[in-house]
Amino acid sequence: MSNTKRLQDFLEKTGGLRRAIISILLAMMIGAFIVYLQGDDPIIAYTALFRSAFGSREAFFQTLTNSTPLIVTGIAAAITFRAGVVNLGVEGQLYIGGLAAALVGVYLEGIPPFLHILLALLAGCVASFIWAAPFQWLRVQFGANELVTTTLSNYVAILLTTYLVAYPFMKPGAPLAMTKNVLPSAFLPRLVHQGRLNVGFIIGAFLCVFVWYVINRSSLGFEFRMIGANKRFSHYVGIRVKRMQVFAMGLSGAVAGLAGAIEVLGTQHRFIQNISPGYGWVGVLVALMSSNNPIAVLPVGILFGALKTGGLGMEAATNVPSELSDVLQAIIILFFAANVVFPSFRKKPTQRKEIEEIAHLEES
Amino acid sequence: MQDSYAVELLNITKNFPGVLANDDVTLQVKKGQIHALVGENGAGKTTLMNILYGLVHPDSGRIRVDGNDVSIRSPRDAIGKGLGMVHQHFMLVSSYTTTQNIFLGHEINRFLIVDRKEAERQVQEISERYNLLVNPQAVIRDLPVGVQQRVEILKVLQRGANTIVLDEPTAVLTPQECDELFLIVRSLVADGKTVIIITHKLSEVKAISDCVTVLRRGRVIGTFLTKDISKEELASKMVGSNIPTAGERTKLKAGEFVLKTKDIVVRDKFNTEVVRKVSLSVRQGEIVTIAGVEGNGQMEFVEGVTGLRKTIAGQIFVCGKDVTNFSPDKVRQSGLAHVPGDRIATGTNFKASIADNLIAGRHRQFPFAKRGWINQKEKRKFSQELVEKYKIKTPNISVSAKTLSGGNLQKVVASREMSFDTPLLVVVQPTRGLDIASTGFIHEILLDMRNRNKAILLVSTELDEVFELSDRILVMYEGEIVGEFTPENVTREELGLYMAGVKRLPKTESESS
Amino acid sequence: MLEFLLKTTTYRAALRIMTPILLAALGGAFSHYAGILNIALEGQMLLSAFIAVAASYYFGSALWGVVAGVACGIVVGLLFGLFVITFKADEFIVGTAINILAVGGTTFLMRAWFNVKASFADPGIVPLPEINIPFLSNSSILGELINGQSSLVYLSWLLVIVLYVLFYHTPFGFHLRATGEHPEAFKAAGGNVTLIRYIASISCGAMCGLAGTHLALGYLTQFVLNMTAGRGFIALSATIFGNGNPLIVALASFLFALAESFSIRFQSLGIPPYFVLMIPYIFTIIVLVIISARRRTNELME
Repeated sequence: MSNTKRLQDFLEKTGGLRRAIISILLAMMIGAFIVYLQGDDPIIAYTALFRSAFGSREAFFQTLTNSTPLIVTGIAAAITFRAGVVNLGVEGQLYIGGLAAALVGVYLEGIPPFLHILLALLAGCVASFIWAAPFQWLRVQFGANELVTTTLSNYVAILLTTYLVAYPFMKPGAPLAMTKNVLPSAFLPRLVHQGRLNVGFIIGAFLCVFVWYVINRSSLGFEFRMIGANKRFSHYVGIRVKRMQVFAMGLSGAVAGLAGAIEVLGTQHRFIQNISPGYGWVGVLVALMSSNNPIAVLPVGILFGALKTGGLGMEAATNVPSELSDVLQAIIILFFAANVVFPSFRKKPTQRKEIEEIAHLEES
Repeated sequence: MQDSYAVELLNITKNFPGVLANDDVTLQVKKGQIHALVGENGAGKTTLMNILYGLVHPDSGRIRVDGNDVSIRSPRDAIGKGLGMVHQHFMLVSSYTTTQNIFLGHEINRFLIVDRKEAERQVQEISERYNLLVNPQAVIRDLPVGVQQRVEILKVLQRGANTIVLDEPTAVLTPQECDELFLIVRSLVADGKTVIIITHKLSEVKAISDCVTVLRRGRVIGTFLTKDISKEELASKMVGSNIPTAGERTKLKAGEFVLKTKDIVVRDKFNTEVVRKVSLSVRQGEIVTIAGVEGNGQMEFVEGVTGLRKTIAGQIFVCGKDVTNFSPDKVRQSGLAHVPGDRIATGTNFKASIADNLIAGRHRQFPFAKRGWINQKEKRKFSQELVEKYKIKTPNISVSAKTLSGGNLQKVVASREMSFDTPLLVVVQPTRGLDIASTGFIHEILLDMRNRNKAILLVSTELDEVFELSDRILVMYEGEIVGEFTPENVTREELGLYMAGVKRLPKTESESS
Repeated sequence: MLEFLLKTTTYRAALRIMTPILLAALGGAFSHYAGILNIALEGQMLLSAFIAVAASYYFGSALWGVVAGVACGIVVGLLFGLFVITFKADEFIVGTAINILAVGGTTFLMRAWFNVKASFADPGIVPLPEINIPFLSNSSILGELINGQSSLVYLSWLLVIVLYVLFYHTPFGFHLRATGEHPEAFKAAGGNVTLIRYIASISCGAMCGLAGTHLALGYLTQFVLNMTAGRGFIALSATIFGNGNPLIVALASFLFALAESFSIRFQSLGIPPYFVLMIPYIFTIIVLVIISARRRTNELME
């Protein structure tokens, strides 16, 4: 047996958790090497990283705050991937939802807080649902690959929302394009006295559990899972595949919009240009690393949030740029993905490839 | 000299996950022989030949060509040693021409530019030499299956193969095309080649081979001279016991029309009509079989009836209701269940558990679902019941369908569809790739359903099955019904002529009188 | 108001804008024909752009910039191949990871090496030379359109022809396309599917390397954060549009570049820049939808 095969067999035998840990360790090693090449001390850099992420209560709360958008976007991505749909427009959908929530939060006056929050969050979900679903419709109706169209849609969404917040909804006298501050009745309550950890995190955690239940225990989730695994089978069995896929995309968009809404109502209290430093993209990675399992999104989201928080702290304490954490994220995913067979996003169902392998067995 | 071996596989063992495909197999083929390799599906025949051809690496064992030990790690090595293989599923690139396929991997070129004319000339030459006429410029996807097979054979000959392996070559041929193939095989042998034929059809073994080796469950049962062994003996060696006799089919008076199609037209993805104005009907209590060589429109017809494919013209009635171009869920609601020919890609979801596969289609209905949530207990109960009733071999219902063997997978599909207990059941190739016991089991169930007044539309290429089960046999050729018979009033040879398009009945609507 | 439609400068600009898209799309064609979905054209371009700028700066030569840019592309292509072909990781995940790695990595290096945060511009960066074709004087329309463009622009046109011949008239081309269409058939004919796939990945990387190099050294002579701005995906659309055929891919690239060129001209008409910037992306989406619709087959399901 070749060495690659041996490594692969070993990786396959270990479970998802062990594979995650191995990927993280390998990535850390490479990261340490990069830091060393920089002329910095990896030990000091990593110590700063860990301390900034977990070292104290404030640090931990900051980590959870930074994890919130990653968890919610992770759920958003996981929903579509489970249904065999590729939604790479999460980033743009976050912007759309965030702006919608901000507008409700800023301009809807004189209603009690609970209702205000609910309406604002709802606005975010609905706006992004409406934004996202058509792209999958273009796929089922015309065959336009949603991977490409949703990716391109990000740029359109970001430009659109930036325009809206730079002209019509601009806060007068502000140095950057941003809305006026959201009314206090729409604030998501803080969970701590210092720092910005808010109810949004609870919403995110709740979503992980709830979405898990929906995917694994409901008829809707059953259909998503069947479609994601084998479209032909689903159609043959009587599932309305096209309809469900469009719905899945819309639902995913809605959750991504929720992520934007939470960011606006809970953390930033306004919508500002460049509100998201790529949360949508990291969300995709989070989903992939969680094997699209909503429950796993929680710890993975926190891990990535920790990396982000740690990176920022590391930069403050040492010379190492915080982008190292982005690099680490990507390397972790690369190692994690090696040897993993995910639902294929190609046009042919994955089942066909497995068939060919097993057919060799079948036909004697 | 006459006793020298062209090819020897010695003590070959090969393990796949969960399956011992070849267990210490030794096969020695003399030069100039036509050697048949027989066994049921799953016996290890193709694996053994794939090992010879370098597509699979054995766990242990040796290969000898012309008396010399050789190492074959890839098809390239095999080709270099004068071995050639024509696979059951052709290894042709559909968008390439005949010539491009024959020269794939060793294109004739001058300064890196491919020399098309020279290649075509050589193809013409070799095609005439072996009397395997092909058009060098034709594109593979436009060619009928019989011609594609010729291209595959030419491909092998062009590389200078001395030993040629044919894997189930007659699976896609009409009886007449089979005869032509046998002539070709004989002439190749007369030319000094050695031929190994993998088959499970015993009449062919007797017709063409000099020698036959029987494999069962990965082991060699024996090697015999064809003239010294009878079909019955071969069959019992293949199976290891006596073959069960066919079930009882009593004459029933057919009831109401359950399925009626009028002038159905269906197109394939290249926009050619593959189903051309097919009208047929099936009544309660009858099994109507569409017989015909694969690729004559049967699949597309079934897909049209079951809502998986668009019908360009015509009408489909299920239980009196017009369901033309309804989506599959609506067609099913009208009273149809469907066991598809493609059990792996369409009939089951590999990645899902057996239980999920069994309740699929009912996952929104009571008692499996209430207000959108699935009732796990009901799901478990139902799945256990089906597993027991159909004797599906599995440790439990939560394992993924991918762990099942072919026969058990088919039982999952069949049990699910039959449990809907619909007035109409459409079944395609239900026993392809199944062992004899499972085949008998499925046949019993189908006959039982018929006896309970259900209507069954069966599509099959196995003539034994066709004759055993059918009340009426319709032959489909090039998208049209060209003949209608009962098993009593037609012979296999006659049926073969209709299947080949040689004969046809005048065009009338096919209904039982 | 619409005079720009008649000005040669509009079309000249389109030819310039087209080059990185075309080069990346040609790289995508390699992957496409080998049967690999490579969505990391974006990331490969971005990484190569940065490395090209850095090399040009350190070595004081544009040639080193090109060499480094292409080398970077080849390395990333090799990496992609390693994970997808040998480790059998999903192409989509690896592609996304590389794209994210590119953004983070280039920002990281930009700060670590050059101590700047948003862009790196320096007189020490040597741009690619322009080429003046002697017999195309600047006064004729053809001359205005074509003469004096940056070197890689001409190289890209040459590559269109070279790749056309390569894909359809050489043994390698037949092997490549067979690998994508029916790898088992190629293997059964004695071919080495793995080798072909690796060659395709590396070639794709090299082409993206050229694309990134042109982007950074062709006219701008700087590296800006995220400067690819989705061009990799527009290139992917061009590859899909052309189904890998270099000539049609070139046509698509030109169309997309034209859209961008028009949109720049629109800015001078007083439309807010944000809307104008959207045009290339929306145009690409629309084109993708149209050609996908025309390819739709007769079946009920895909």
